[in-house]
Amino acid sequence: MDVSQYLDIFLDESREHLQSLNNNMLELEQNSENMDTINEIFRSAHTLKGMAGTMGFKRMQTLTHDMENVFSEVRDGNIKVNSDMIDVLFQCLDALEGYVSIIQETSDEGDNDNQPIINALNACLTGKKADAAATPAEEKPAKKSAKKSTKSKAKADTKAAEEKKEGAPAPAVSMKLSEEEQKAVEDAMMANRKLYHITVTVQDTCLLKAARAFLVFKAIEDHGEVLATNPSTQDIEDEKFDFVFQILIATDGELQPILDAIKTVSEIGDAVGVPFSGESAVSSEEPAEEEEAPAKEEDKETLPAEAPQEAASKPAPAAAQTPAAAPAKKPAGKPAVNRTVRVDIEKLDSLMNLVSELIIAKNSLVSSATSLGNNSNQLNDHIEYLESVTTNLHESVMKVRMVPIESVVTKFPRMIRDLSKKLNKPIELYMTGEDTELDRTVVDEIGDPLMHLLRNSADHGIEDPEIRAQRGKPEVGSIYLDAYQDGNNVVIEVKDDGNGIDVEAVKRKAIERGVLTEEQAAVSDDNDIIRLLFLPSFSTAKKVTDVSGRGVGLDVVKSKIESLSGEVDVKSKLGEGSTFSIRLPLTLAIIQALMVVVGDEKYAIALGGIQTIEDISPSDIKTVQGSEVINLRGNVIPLVRLDKVVGVESKRSPEDNMVVVIAKKGDKLAGFIVDELIGQQEIVIKSMGKYINKCKFISGATILGDGEIALIIDANALM
Amino acid sequence: MENQLSTTLNDTTQYIVINLGTEQYGIDIKYIDNIVRMQQITRVPQVSPYWKGVINLRGEVIPVMSLRVKMGMEADEATKNTRIIIIKMDQHEPIGVMVDSVKEVVTLSTSQVERVPQDSRENGYVCGIGKQEQGLISLLDIELVLQDM
Repeated sequence: MDVSQYLDIFLDESREHLQSLNNNMLELEQNSENMDTINEIFRSAHTLKGMAGTMGFKRMQTLTHDMENVFSEVRDGNIKVNSDMIDVLFQCLDALEGYVSIIQETSDEGDNDNQPIINALNACLTGKKADAAATPAEEKPAKKSAKKSTKSKAKADTKAAEEKKEGAPAPAVSMKLSEEEQKAVEDAMMANRKLYHITVTVQDTCLLKAARAFLVFKAIEDHGEVLATNPSTQDIEDEKFDFVFQILIATDGELQPILDAIKTVSEIGDAVGVPFSGESAVSSEEPAEEEEAPAKEEDKETLPAEAPQEAASKPAPAAAQTPAAAPAKKPAGKPAVNRTVRVDIEKLDSLMNLVSELIIAKNSLVSSATSLGNNSNQLNDHIEYLESVTTNLHESVMKVRMVPIESVVTKFPRMIRDLSKKLNKPIELYMTGEDTELDRTVVDEIGDPLMHLLRNSADHGIEDPEIRAQRGKPEVGSIYLDAYQDGNNVVIEVKDDGNGIDVEAVKRKAIERGVLTEEQAAVSDDNDIIRLLFLPSFSTAKKVTDVSGRGVGLDVVKSKIESLSGEVDVKSKLGEGSTFSIRLPLTLAIIQALMVVVGDEKYAIALGGIQTIEDISPSDIKTVQGSEVINLRGNVIPLVRLDKVVGVESKRSPEDNMVVVIAKKGDKLAGFIVDELIGQQEIVIKSMGKYINKCKFISGATILGDGEIALIIDANALM
Repeated sequence: MENQLSTTLNDTTQYIVINLGTEQYGIDIKYIDNIVRMQQITRVPQVSPYWKGVINLRGEVIPVMSLRVKMGMEADEATKNTRIIIIKMDQHEPIGVMVDSVKEVVTLSTSQVERVPQDSRENGYVCGIGKQEQGLISLLDIELVLQDM
């Protein structure tokens, strides 16, 4: 058995624990007396340490261990949380994250001991002792751990004693041996070796039980020979046991060293051994042995059933001994583990691709059925049924791929906290809509742009506290991160109550850089000027800080968002703050679209943005400032002639009524004039590659039922 | 015989010979993924004139360019000989190149190829001239063609 197969789980779980540590630390910083938070932190740290240990990442384990020591002192009330300590702990979390990413890349933890952080952690510990008694720094942790281990040994002893009182011999009887095992036992007894029956309990919070068991076996290998296990070795490897397993070991030595060896494995709750007398086993076994073969199946079923009973009896005394930690440990998410499945994103992608192919195939079937003529009702029924199945299938797969943006935004409070310290500006981040869901691929990509925007707000947006005071604003700056769904889009807004964008400064800079001429600048409206900020290398920050201001911010944000078929916009009022809003499509792969004909070409327009379709007489078109508009039920709507945009001849005569597709973007409306409507269709978006995507309003291509390609028009880009 | 074999292994390159107008060009075979017949091409608006559009190659949307227009010749006229060569290079998405016709595969040894020095290249993309009994073949630096977009 090899632990490397657990590496993925380890990485995932470590990240989760680090994230929860980060969140809880932020909370602790706010409210340093909250026992629940401290306990939560302690548990995460402890689990993390255990996992690192199991995987053999010694440096990571050492660092986590020292961190855990600090928390344990905090929990026991021996030291108080202060901001220096929080800083050190945050550094420590960063270092741990560093280990995790190195491990992900190389499967090895690297050789950075992070000694300075360990020293700092130990200084936190000794800081309080220094007041009470001026003892040397190094001795303390050592003594403490010594104290602890004696304590835990004492615990184990009393527990073992309890075990005996409660009827420890019972497990010895419950161990059933196969013929070979029986033979091995007899051989060992003939060789005058001592036999022990050891019951090992794994902590009920343990995540990698099989890995623990493996380490247990490894630990006792040096001491003796494992003759039999319950459940079988195979079942233990497959994690088919609850929290207890039993080992029958033959040794030449004593029992205690073996138990000690087992207990050095982390997350092992307890190990209890009793001498195993072959006779008793044989005698208890004798009746069973005769019908061994048929009974075997039954054994497997009955044995695990016995184990939980033991497991259930054990946590009780443990809880009594450590009332602070143990009760809270129990709700550590067991039902959640059973109800979710971790799936590799690549598998989901290939599933999605297959669904896409299926929908294309279905579309071909529909188009060939139509070309066959309408003579078979049955065929049409079947096709309709197929259609509803594929649509449902698609929706289900889509839902599986949707994840809340929470996974990305949870790291931001920590980031803002650090920035706030670094920039010496008190800043508070308020987030809403963390549960808004987006396609997995989008969520993975959205983190960096959001981080850019938040850094921007913190660095350029929020003013220094003195200036804020002068302006009559609260000293603490506020940044809001709001996410919500708007039709087929998800909107994420980053808003601050800072300085806002100085349009005049941007204008001056643009003229200086030659982006705008004086005349252009004079006629441009403020929004156009502000959008210049999204041009490459356009930073107005007066000084370059290491937070932002190198001019690689907003243009990167814009290109990233556009590569996700989204768009970014900004509104700002000088002195009051700015709002950056990112608008993203809910899904990237399959959408409902309206198929239209322009000239002799077919195009698809995403249905999500379409409000209505109107039949308009050419005489209704008015001209305002040189552009065509219509007045539709009181709304003046600008018109876009798609034939002109895509560069084909319209097939309609100018006198005929026009088909106008009214689309909506935010609060803007626009009408697109097309030649003909084909109808609504589910289309699979295919990328056209980077060579040919220069055209802004074409967001991709799709393959129609007959194999023909239609381009997808991004109505938003034309509004 | 042995001697010949070792030269094949060491110093020869295989080229696909294509026709553009009256001229013959060679494309290194290692870049070529596939050669398909002319098929319906969907025009893409507002792109450089050498882009013919996109085709559907077994469910993949692949951009197609006209080598004629790219090299400054007059536009293609699709005939039954017209072919689209699908070129796939590492780190690049596949791309289709439309040519008048595909003639044959030739194997040229280094001694048969005359390198064209970088600075004296006339229309940019020819990196060498292959000499053969049937005539001369201009060898295209296809990487350069794709970079120049």
